[in-house]
Amino acid sequence: EAAVERRAPPPPSPTSAVGAEPSASGGRDGEAMDNSRFRQPAKTRTRGPMHVEGNPSHLFEDTSGNMDPPGAGYEGSSTGFGLSGEGFLSDPVVSNLAMAYGSSLASQGKNIVDQNIDRFIPVSKLKYYFAVDTIYVGKKLGLLIFPYMHQNWEVRYQQDSPVAPRVEVNAPDLYIPAMALITYLLVAGFALGTQSRFSPEVLGMQASSALIWLVIEVLAILLSLYLVTVNTDLTTIDLIAFAGYKYVGMVTGVVAGLIFGRTGYYVALGWCCISIVVFMIRTLRLKILSEAAAEGVLVRGTRNQLRMYLTMAIAAVQPVFMYWLTFHLVR
Amino acid sequence: MAFTLYSLLQAALLCVNAVAVPHEERFLNKIGWGTDQSFGGLGEEPGIKSQLVNLIRPVRMVMRLLLIVLNSVIIGLLLLFG
Repeated sequence: EAAVERRAPPPPSPTSAVGAEPSASGGRDGEAMDNSRFRQPAKTRTRGPMHVEGNPSHLFEDTSGNMDPPGAGYEGSSTGFGLSGEGFLSDPVVSNLAMAYGSSLASQGKNIVDQNIDRFIPVSKLKYYFAVDTIYVGKKLGLLIFPYMHQNWEVRYQQDSPVAPRVEVNAPDLYIPAMALITYLLVAGFALGTQSRFSPEVLGMQASSALIWLVIEVLAILLSLYLVTVNTDLTTIDLIAFAGYKYVGMVTGVVAGLIFGRTGYYVALGWCCISIVVFMIRTLRLKILSEAAAEGVLVRGTRNQLRMYLTMAIAAVQPVFMYWLTFHLVR
Repeated sequence: MAFTLYSLLQAALLCVNAVAVPHEERFLNKIGWGTDQSFGGLGEEPGIKSQLVNLIRPVRMVMRLLLIVLNSVIIGLLLLFG
């Protein structure tokens, strides 16, 4: 019951932030509209699709108000045209019309591209995973390397959707896995360079190997989640995020191996493997196991046993991958 | 370790072939994996085996035509380019 109670009331601070943000962006809107009157139709049209999907501006601060400098630049060049030459475009009315038409064409093109991209890649869902800030990244990296002191692993919910990672440390994000993957590739190139085994194709091979193992792991987890008939709210992107967290440990291991040699590599990798196993078990336990089992009570029944085995298997596979993808980099 | 996207596609194609090849009447029913034999689990606990059995049939139905095309393409590529 304590777990349910913790999830039910939405915390006050993010909702007040939601209330504050739209008024701030509305204020900037009015200011921009005063500066350039003929830009008004273009602005309201580009704002339209964003507000349809339930105001995602609470994830990020709205910095799209600074479209004024290009507008000022255009106005300067148009008056320059008018002053210098004769002809059709020197008439300021015609040039205003031409610029309004051009900007409306550009915004229409942008709308078409946005709609088509949204069909293939869920951009708004992806935005949630990148709504991070420095404090969150620092805390999460600390959690990945030392998860033993953290007590509360639950994700707070806000009106049936998870709170943005910026506010809640336990929420998964895609920023750390993406950065860790790129860092891993750079460190791998560096490590191969110290062994005189480097060539630019090697970087490409490392990248495709790492990405393909990630895809295989996520597909295997999805398949096993389907077979065990688990009703969770783990999305595919969540799984990609969790599978990508092991790159942090890999980078740490390889860097320690570069500085301290083979023993340093083994020590750092061992520590990071154990940390990732504990992190995974504690995070996935809340998502995969049922409520009662997640509290620590031993619930009998094959279904809960299967779920427990699945959690253990997912966690145990991480050190295997971590070793497999890095042992050839350290000599 | 030298993985490319192409090798991943080949591995996936081979796995899907493995799901599509065994014949339903002649083989799967004989070893007790047929879909007409596993209607016992109508309750809460489907179990892994019945989930697998119920997964095989739709996968076959959906992928049959696609598998024909993909296999021909990959065989042609392998013959031409090794």
